[in-house]
Amino acid sequence: MSNSILDIETALRLKNFSFRTSSKVSGYKSGIHKSHYNGISPDFLEHKQYNKGDELKQIDWRLYGRHDRLYVKKFEDEVNMRWCILVDKSASMDYGDNKYNKFEYAKRLAATLSYLLLKQGDSVGLIGFSDSGIELIPPRSGSHFITPILDKLNTLEPQGKTGLEEPILTALEAYRSDASFVIISDFLLETGAIEKSIKLARNSKKEISLFHVLHPDETDFNFSGSIEFEDLETNTKVIVDTGSLRHTYIKRIGEFITQLKHTCHENEARYVLSSTNEPIEKSLIQIADK
Amino acid sequence: MLNLSFLSPLFFIGLAALALPIIAHLISRKSGVKKTFPAVSFLISSQGDLATRSRIKDLILLILRALILVLIVLVFAKPAVFSFSKSADNKPKSIAIVIDNSFSMGYENNFGRALDKALNLIDSIPDGSFTIIAPLVPNNENEQALIQERSGLKRTIQDIELSNSFTNNETRLEDIYSKLQKTPNDTKEVVLITDLQKNGWENQEYAMPWLELIDISQNPETSNHAVSEIDLDHGDDSTTVRAQVSNFSNDLVSELLTKISLNQQEIKNYIEIEPQNSSGLEVSFRASSALEGIGEIQTTYDKLKVDDTRHFISDGQNEDTKILIVDGDPREDSRLSETYYLARALETISEISGTQITVLDNNGLLNQELSEYELIYLANVGEITPRIAKELEKFVDTGGTAVIFLGNSVRASFYNTLLKNILPGDIQSITQGGLLRAQVDSEIFSKEIADKINQINIEKLYKTIPHAESEVIIDTTAEAPFLIKKDYGKGSVFIFTSTADTKWNNFSITPVFLPVIKKIHDLPNMHRSNSRHYFVDETVKIETFQDIKSMTVLNPDGEEYKVDTDSNEFSQTKLPGIYKVKTDGEVKYRFAVNINPKESNLEKIPHRSIESGDDQKGALAKVFKEIWRYFFWGVIALFVSESAFRAIFS
Repeated sequence: MSNSILDIETALRLKNFSFRTSSKVSGYKSGIHKSHYNGISPDFLEHKQYNKGDELKQIDWRLYGRHDRLYVKKFEDEVNMRWCILVDKSASMDYGDNKYNKFEYAKRLAATLSYLLLKQGDSVGLIGFSDSGIELIPPRSGSHFITPILDKLNTLEPQGKTGLEEPILTALEAYRSDASFVIISDFLLETGAIEKSIKLARNSKKEISLFHVLHPDETDFNFSGSIEFEDLETNTKVIVDTGSLRHTYIKRIGEFITQLKHTCHENEARYVLSSTNEPIEKSLIQIADK
Repeated sequence: MLNLSFLSPLFFIGLAALALPIIAHLISRKSGVKKTFPAVSFLISSQGDLATRSRIKDLILLILRALILVLIVLVFAKPAVFSFSKSADNKPKSIAIVIDNSFSMGYENNFGRALDKALNLIDSIPDGSFTIIAPLVPNNENEQALIQERSGLKRTIQDIELSNSFTNNETRLEDIYSKLQKTPNDTKEVVLITDLQKNGWENQEYAMPWLELIDISQNPETSNHAVSEIDLDHGDDSTTVRAQVSNFSNDLVSELLTKISLNQQEIKNYIEIEPQNSSGLEVSFRASSALEGIGEIQTTYDKLKVDDTRHFISDGQNEDTKILIVDGDPREDSRLSETYYLARALETISEISGTQITVLDNNGLLNQELSEYELIYLANVGEITPRIAKELEKFVDTGGTAVIFLGNSVRASFYNTLLKNILPGDIQSITQGGLLRAQVDSEIFSKEIADKINQINIEKLYKTIPHAESEVIIDTTAEAPFLIKKDYGKGSVFIFTSTADTKWNNFSITPVFLPVIKKIHDLPNMHRSNSRHYFVDETVKIETFQDIKSMTVLNPDGEEYKVDTDSNEFSQTKLPGIYKVKTDGEVKYRFAVNINPKESNLEKIPHRSIESGDDQKGALAKVFKEIWRYFFWGVIALFVSESAFRAIFS
C-alpha cells in the first residue's frame, strides 16, 4: 500500500541518471556532490604553495624535483547531498480525478524523486506544508529510509491554503548546512510571496528547484457554457461564461507561469512545469544529469 | 383624436412568453453547473471588467429578446388606431356591411383589403347590434342573414368570393337596407366597402343618409387595359378575328403583347394604345374553309387579370344582322316616307355585311316580337304603348341597340314617361337648330367623320336635356344636342333629336349619313341573337334537340350542371371561359362566357358621399387604421439587432 505512490518503472528508467546540485555543498559522507572541502578524492583541484601546517603527505614531490619549491596538491572532496522535498498539501492540490489529480501527482513525484536520491546515496527529508500545518521528516540516508517517507506521503491530507514562507523557514531550521530544497506545489500564491520565500532559501545558500504542478484544466481551461466555480481553498464562488473568458484566462495563467519562471531564473532556482497529464519522468529528467 | 385599440386582444395571452427570456436570463446568472476549481483567483482577475461587460451584454440581450416577444404579441393582437366620429355612441344598431365583390375589386389586392376591413369593422360594432354581411354582387349560395354573433359574422365575411360580374349598386343597397327594417334598433346603416369604381352606379352621386362608403383602393391613379370586343368574320378560305383592346389609363400602353388563338393556331402581335383609347387588332387564320372551334384573345396580364382574356366560339358561319325599321310617317310614295333614306343606307350596308331589314309602320310595331332583332330604328314613331316600351327596355337591356329619330309625330311626354329608363335625355320642346359640332372626345366617330359633321344643316330639333350617364355625341350651338347615346344593361340607345328624313334637316342626304349609320351598325352588341357569346351571370337559352330530354352543361372548371328541361335555361355562368352543352356524354355545342368589359374602366365616382357628414346618420363609432405592419417590421429589425449584437459581443 505504502509503495503505491512510488513509480517504480520511472525510477528504473531513471536509475542511470544522477541528481546533482549546481554548486558545491557541505557533506559528511562521501557521495557524488562536489564538496567545499578539499579531500582525498581522485579529482585533482590545484597546486598550492606549501605552508606551515599543511600535511606532508599532500606535498607533490615530483613538482618539487622540477621547481625546487614545495607545493601541496589540493583535491576536491565528493560528499553526499541533503535534500528537502517540500510537498504542497493545500486544498487546491486536490483537483482532478484520480488519474490526473494534482496531489496524487505531487506525491508520486516526491516519492520517486526520494527513492532515486536515496539510491544515489543522498539523504532526503520531507516536509508536507499548508497553512493547516507542517509535517516534517528529518533527512536520512540509506535506501531503507524510503519506507517512512512513503508512509508519510500516504498520510498527507490536502487541506488549508498554500503558504510557502513558513515551510521554508521550517526547512531552513532543519537544514542548517548546505541542502537542496525541492518544492512541489501549484504555487497559487502571489508571485511576490513566492519570490520572498525563494530568496529566503537562497540567502541561506540553499539550492532551490520548483516543480509547478498544474492540471490541464488550469492551463487549457477546456470548459464550455456558463459555470459556477468554487475555489478549493477559499470557497469563493464565481459564475463564468467560459466561452468568453477562456482567452483572457489562458493569457493570464500564461503570464503567471512566465513570471514565476523569471523569478526562478533571477534567483538561480530551477523551474519545472509539471502537467499532471504528462508522466513524472518528463519532470524529473529536467533536474537530472546523465 | 386617435386612440389605440387591439383587434385581437386575446393574443395578449402570448405575453406570458415573456417569462422565457427572463427565466433564461436568471438561469444563466445562477448557473446550473457548479464546479470546484483551484485557480478561481485567476478567473476573478481575468473577468475584471469582462464581468461587467458580460452583465451589460446579458441585460441588453434580455431587453432585446423581451421586446421581440412583446412586438410579436402586438403584431398578432393587431393594434389599430381609430378615431371616433362625432355621432359615435355605443348603443346597439342595425348595420349591413356590404363588400364590393364586383370584378374590378380584383385590381391589386383591393378585395383582400376589403375583407380585412370588414373583419376589423366587426370589432367596432356595439354589442347587441344586428348585422348583415352581404356581397355587393349577390350570390344565391350565401344570401345575407341577420347575425349577432361576431365569430359567425367573420366566417360569413371569409366565405365571400370575388365575382366576375357587377350589379346595379343602388338597387342592391336599397334591397339590403330594406332587410334592416325588420330589426328593432333605431340606428340603421349600410356600410359599403368598395373601390368606388363608377360602373354599377346609375347615379354617380347617389347618397343616402343611411349609406356610408369606405374607399378601400390605395392608389387614386389606376391603370388597366382590357380586351373589350371580339368580332369574327368567316371567309371562304379564312376566318378573320377582329378585337378591340382598350386602355383605361392616362398613360400610353406600348408594346403590349396580344395572343390570338383559334384551335391550335396562335398569332402574336404587339400593339400600342393611346391613353383612354382603344386599339383594333385584326388577324386571319387561313384554312381550306372557314374555321370552327374555340379560341381566345389574351394580352399581357396587368393588375386586373380577369379582363385581359376573352374567349370566343367560331362556328364558321356569318350571322345576318336583323334590323327593324319602324316608320312613324309612311307614305305610298316610298321616297316621301320618313325612313326612305335610312332604309337605302342600310341596304347599302347590307351589301357589305349580311343584314336582314324589316320595315314596319306604327301598327306593325304593336304586334312585333322585338327580341329577334339586333337593331331597331324608331323614326318619328308617335305611338309608344306601355307594352312596347317594356319590350324595348328588355330588348336594350339584353344587348340590343335602339336608334330613335324624333319628328312631329312624337309625343314627348309619352317618350319621357314610358321610355324614361332607356331614353338618353329628357325630350322637351322643338327649337331652332344651330351649327353642329361633334364632340371631340367622343369615341364613336373618327376624326374624318367629325370634320364633316358641320355639313349638316339643322332647321328644327327637340331640345333634349341629356341624362347624367348619357353621352352627347353631336352637339349644336343652340345648346340642344343632335345625337345622344346612353348605355343601358348590355345594350345602347341613340337618339337623334331631329327627323330621319329631310323635313327638319339635311342629315340624310349629306355624305356623313351613311358613315354614321354604318358606325352605329358596326357597334358591339350587334350580333345578339343566336350568338354563342354571353356575359358572366347571363342566362343562356340552351338549344333543344329532338328526342333528347336530359342535357347538362360543363363549366370551364369541369363542374357539371343539369339543364332545367322546362325552361331550357342555364344561369350558372359565373366563370368566364368555354362551356360545353352535353347530352348522353356527347358534346353538342359550346358557348363562350366573358366578363362584361364595362367594369374594366376603373374610373371612380365622386368621393363626396364618403366625406359628407350627417349628424342624423349615426355613423360608425370607430374608424380604424391598422398599424400592426409597423410592429412586424420592428420585430424583423430587433431580430437583426439581436443577431448582430450576439455576433459582435460573443
